[in-house]
Amino acid sequence: MKSILFLAALVAIVYSEELEESRGRILASKSVLNNMLVESREVTVEYVLFNMGKSSALKVQLTDNTFPADQFEVVSGSLQVSWARIAPGSNVTHVVILKPKSDGMFNFTSAEVSYLASEKDTKETLGSTSAPGLGRIIAFQDYDRKYSPHYLDWLAFTVMCLPSLAIPFMLWYNSKSKYEQIKTKKN
Amino acid sequence: MVGKSLLNLAVFLFFSASLAWGDKCLSPKVQSKVYSTSESILSSQTVFVVEFGLTCKNNVENLNLYADLNGFSVPATRVEGSRGKYQVSFSDEHKKLPSGQYSVRIFDDDGFGELRKAQRLNEDTSGIASLFEVKISHSGASRSFIVQTEFVVALLGIVVWYLAFNAKSKLQA
Repeated sequence: MKSILFLAALVAIVYSEELEESRGRILASKSVLNNMLVESREVTVEYVLFNMGKSSALKVQLTDNTFPADQFEVVSGSLQVSWARIAPGSNVTHVVILKPKSDGMFNFTSAEVSYLASEKDTKETLGSTSAPGLGRIIAFQDYDRKYSPHYLDWLAFTVMCLPSLAIPFMLWYNSKSKYEQIKTKKN
Repeated sequence: MVGKSLLNLAVFLFFSASLAWGDKCLSPKVQSKVYSTSESILSSQTVFVVEFGLTCKNNVENLNLYADLNGFSVPATRVEGSRGKYQVSFSDEHKKLPSGQYSVRIFDDDGFGELRKAQRLNEDTSGIASLFEVKISHSGASRSFIVQTEFVVALLGIVVWYLAFNAKSKLQA
């Protein structure tokens, strides 16, 4: 009796797995493609959706509400997009470019994904992307101090150095040319 | 009798033609906006974002569009909440997307079918009619400086010192 029950359970598991297999299944990742995050400089956010199921996922929607308008400005791309269909075994990429309006810590959390897992489904399957996590947005001044070429600063430095170099040089050059004149006259 | 059947045929032809045109965009008008990564000091990958709004003469909406960049094709993303707006994104390593002119070709279902067929048979795809093209002039996500300005200034200082030292040792000799 027990073995029959076990067998039935096993069959049920296999059956449900088979059911699962004929459905679309979306894995979604969200990542920040930046070496460093700087205030009022571009931040590239990439979303990759991969259908690991056995059939197409339909009406796939991606919504990211995690960038408040008072902290981020959208430069390029949209935070609410959709695809009519993602074929099994294929992936799609979506990119949004943002500019942080202020510095400080920011927690990059996950975006929402919804889709119909099969043609018959009427109820959407909900999911979320991975979360990139906490990131530190550097103030623009700090970034500029470290990475800008400082042309103007170096120009000012050169100008300030010039008198202490040029005046002794002129004195030496004058006496030198005078001495050489006398030398040639003597000869 | 003959006239009636001819009329029927004409009506049938008309409807079948309009069905065939049902999801085909006639004389597309495109407004596009292109973004490409410019600073590699900040970004770890080069990214192209093409946003475009598409209006068709026959008011077709929610088209299935596909984009192709140098043989790499992706489905176009629909922008939610605004009609006829789409987005296409490509990302790759800096080296693989160097500076230069790129052309993103946008296809509808029919065109994309032809493109896939040509790609499978390793045929030339440039002859396949796309719906339209978007040009990207990518200025390159190069590191802004090969050498730091500090290094240049230090080098200049050493040269000046060397000249002065040379002159001094000549005087003393």
